[in-house]
Amino acid sequence: MAGSNTYDVIVIGGGHNGLVNAAYLARAGKKVLVLERRHVLGGAACTEEIVPGFKFSVCSYVVSLLRPEIIRDLDLPRHGLEILPLDGTFTPMTTGDYLWRVNDHGKTHREIARHSRVDAEAYDEFGKAMQAMCRFVKPILSMVPPDPTTLNPRELMKLVFLGKRFQGMSSYDKYNQVQLMTMSAVDFLDQWFETDVLKATMSASGIIGTFLGVRSPGTAYVLLHHYMGEIDGAFRAWGFARGGTGAISNAIADAAREAGVEIRTQSAIAQIIVKDGKAKGVVLANGDEIYANVISSSVDPRLTFTKFIEAQHLPGDFLEEVNRYKFRGSSGKVNMALDALPNFKCMPGPGAHLRGAISISPAVEYMEKAYDDAKYGNFSRRPYIDMVIPSLTDPSVAPPGKHVLSCFVQYAPYKLRPGLSWDTEKEAFGNTVVDTISEYAPNLKDIIIEKQVVTPLDLEREWGLSEGNIFQGELSLEQLFFLRPVPGWAQYRTPVKNLYMCGSCTHPGGGIMGANGRLAALEILKDSKGAA
Amino acid sequence: MPAQRDVVIIGGGHNGLVTAFFLAKAGFKPLVLERSAQVGGAAVTDEFHPGFRCSTLAHSAGPIRPDIVRDMQLEKHGLKLITPEVAVTALSPDGRALRLYQDANKSAQEIAAWSQKDAAKYSGFQQSLTKISKVIAEALATPPPDIDHPSSGDLWSMLKTGRAIRNLGKKDMFRLLRWGPMAVADLAAEYFETELVRAVVAARGVFGTFLGPWSAGSALVLLIRAAGDPHPAGSAHFVAGGAGAITQAMASAAKAAGAEIRTSAEVIEIRVQNGAATGVLLSTGEEIHAKAVISNADPKRTLLKLTDPMHLSPDFVQKLQHYRGNGTVAKVNLALSGLPKFVALNGDGAALKGRIHIGHEIDYLERAFDESKYGNFSRQPYLEATIPSLTDPALAPEGKHVMSIYMQYAPYKLKGDWEDQRKALGQTVVQTLAQYAPNLPELILTHQIITPRDLEDKYGLTGGQIFHGDLALDQFFTMRPLLDWARYKTPIESLYLCGSGTHPGAGLTGGSGANAAREILNDLKR
Repeated sequence: MAGSNTYDVIVIGGGHNGLVNAAYLARAGKKVLVLERRHVLGGAACTEEIVPGFKFSVCSYVVSLLRPEIIRDLDLPRHGLEILPLDGTFTPMTTGDYLWRVNDHGKTHREIARHSRVDAEAYDEFGKAMQAMCRFVKPILSMVPPDPTTLNPRELMKLVFLGKRFQGMSSYDKYNQVQLMTMSAVDFLDQWFETDVLKATMSASGIIGTFLGVRSPGTAYVLLHHYMGEIDGAFRAWGFARGGTGAISNAIADAAREAGVEIRTQSAIAQIIVKDGKAKGVVLANGDEIYANVISSSVDPRLTFTKFIEAQHLPGDFLEEVNRYKFRGSSGKVNMALDALPNFKCMPGPGAHLRGAISISPAVEYMEKAYDDAKYGNFSRRPYIDMVIPSLTDPSVAPPGKHVLSCFVQYAPYKLRPGLSWDTEKEAFGNTVVDTISEYAPNLKDIIIEKQVVTPLDLEREWGLSEGNIFQGELSLEQLFFLRPVPGWAQYRTPVKNLYMCGSCTHPGGGIMGANGRLAALEILKDSKGAA
Repeated sequence: MPAQRDVVIIGGGHNGLVTAFFLAKAGFKPLVLERSAQVGGAAVTDEFHPGFRCSTLAHSAGPIRPDIVRDMQLEKHGLKLITPEVAVTALSPDGRALRLYQDANKSAQEIAAWSQKDAAKYSGFQQSLTKISKVIAEALATPPPDIDHPSSGDLWSMLKTGRAIRNLGKKDMFRLLRWGPMAVADLAAEYFETELVRAVVAARGVFGTFLGPWSAGSALVLLIRAAGDPHPAGSAHFVAGGAGAITQAMASAAKAAGAEIRTSAEVIEIRVQNGAATGVLLSTGEEIHAKAVISNADPKRTLLKLTDPMHLSPDFVQKLQHYRGNGTVAKVNLALSGLPKFVALNGDGAALKGRIHIGHEIDYLERAFDESKYGNFSRQPYLEATIPSLTDPALAPEGKHVMSIYMQYAPYKLKGDWEDQRKALGQTVVQTLAQYAPNLPELILTHQIITPRDLEDKYGLTGGQIFHGDLALDQFFTMRPLLDWARYKTPIESLYLCGSGTHPGAGLTGGSGANAAREILNDLKR
């Protein structure tokens, strides 16, 4: 078959969602081609050897949200997926103290009690409450959002289903659920805890990938979104993939190939061919034309609808909505090749605290000030940093004795204030990150062999993430569920017949979940049955 | 033997008076107990300087719900609304002024001088706002449904609201869904490119709240406001005699209907026996028994201060303690020896008759908000000033004027003590205004400065929150004040709430009072 230039489905983009999408379609008997612009697969879930001997998870660096049903269906472990546990979060404080939460319940309880007995008790309660919330939201992650504006019974049933589930909760859970959907992370946490550093470091997961501060309403939901992590059934567990995040994409790609998917890298799309309202195929940058019955795009709406398709093929108000869709990337990444381990003032020497996440989020005010800088077009002078040292858990990513330090940094607003550009600010940004960490681990400067700085502009240029948003669009309330990516088009279909969306810009949003790709595949199959 | 009444209402604010009226009209004999010497709560007019009278706190009239004005026949009781042609005059530091009129087309023409695009979009924005706000108004006028066991009535009103939403049509329906949780700055930016226009629209979404224009959910505040008044920047409604005249008219209407009102009667405790309110205790030691006690005071004051929390479940108390109400508004009233000269207006007096808006760009408003997050009042505040003596000369001696100014942000939780910063606050306000009206300082005969502290101490607004609790996504509708307790009832039998801390809250509309009366009547008649 190879060589023949017509397919059932062409998937644009070989990110994790595109690959999941392709795998599911191929397993249903479709002839699928995946076209990836870069030389490596995985999109933002990739591993690259930037410094000889050091394998960086260049963008996405931890995994937790990957849907269990996908791991099962695609039998990913057999294709080489191995998730290594990431134990706990270590938060150094400016006072020389620290907060160290681990997966061991007793230890964490004692540690929090060291800061506040009340909070130690509340922490257990909080965990239970969040689990209840997750039980409510989880099924929503695996469901195609309803269209609340139609009277179509199937859609109404979904709304009824949601209503029933909500009714089913105890009024205590309802209370929490409503708050989670509407409150700011800090306001929500304020109700549970008194220890500032605890609230600060917990609220951090409420802002990741958004252009919001820990005090902005709506961030409590994102908090939950990151709380839903699950690895081998272990609740709220985060981990690394052995061999770096790229290993996840490779496992999925392997499963896809086994199912018969053809994957081409370094094949950039120039255009999506549309004839009388139907998507027919794609034109590659090199001019080749490839035809297919269905085009499934895993890239974001801005690329799909304003770059690859001529406006004439799209309804005006749809385009309006697409242009209105908010990206506003707010984070960057700094990866370092290290000669030795960083040495933290508050807990000197190597130790288990370096094996988990290390969070620079010492105080709520610190987090909020970091956001204030961004609001006016500056990267945070003292940013929130979430770092991991995967080489401690997975020696394969660095030469013996050496280490990889992977730093997620927020805020790094895509739109800098007039007069500044990321091309000129890039270095200063990298240095700010190093300086910030050095305040807690002074030896860092001396042990850096090389560092790679990834700005929001890089994310856009190199990974095709518009405005450098890691979730293909902000995870803000007005861009979730049946409003994602744009009102009326939340069911993976588009105004162009036979053209579908399957990326993070669709429900349920960003993170290495794969749910988007899977749900889109199921919708595509539903339609093709209808057609057949 | 203490006096026996059928209904006692704690607090003679506008909502308390509205509730009193409707109960009296239904044949009850409500007794309104007001702590201060005059009724009105936050809607009062005082002579703060010999010959100078001014709306002490609220200076705009709501807008009061028209049906309430009708039912209470407030005009007959002396209410005279004043609606100047210019609704808002927004000033820009570059010496320009933007006049927004009551009339959309006239406003559009004015905006055209700044941006043709914005002018074209203005009326479209007002139309969408009108359509959507009609639906919201419907929801606001009905008591929120009981989430746990909706009654047939609830289902019916939900159905009605649902139908109204459907009738919006797909486009506006999605707008409603999408706008609610948005930041008002984003909403304004979707329509307008001129910063001044964006700012004056956004201001409505943050006034009185602990939100900045970039805070998610501020768009909903705008929509709630728009429900009573779809003017994109808010129209200007004043009352002859100041805001106090509204509550005076309400009081007289309530009395005429058979309610009794006692001023200088401070309730210090709500008496509760086996889970039911039995009456109130006054500071004088006098006890008044009642079949039902209705509180116009805010939820925290009512249930955590006036009531012994031992009558409430720990869970409820904890939730109520988490009900957020951090004031952000201060008030400055000036007695002026003459009319200040605003450079941008070169003598156009008409432009000063509406609300004068200071806060020329989104970032200006957001920065003002930033300072309050860290416990400082804005050094470059967002101001809304009015000169009521222009439209109502009786308020000041011949040729002299009064100026009434809302200042935001003045956080209740201040680093340091409000007493020490009262003067500084006043100076900041005057200096800010002086940038636009340089001769203002020398005209000032006296100023009255009201900090969030004063709002709590003198006017009983917990946390100095003018709306009896933050307007935020999680404290609206069925969640105001608390989820499952949004129906004017409390866990204590025959103790009810009717103040702004209940749905729909927000401003001088009388909505809470009217909704509460309806619910309470259903109960009492059982």
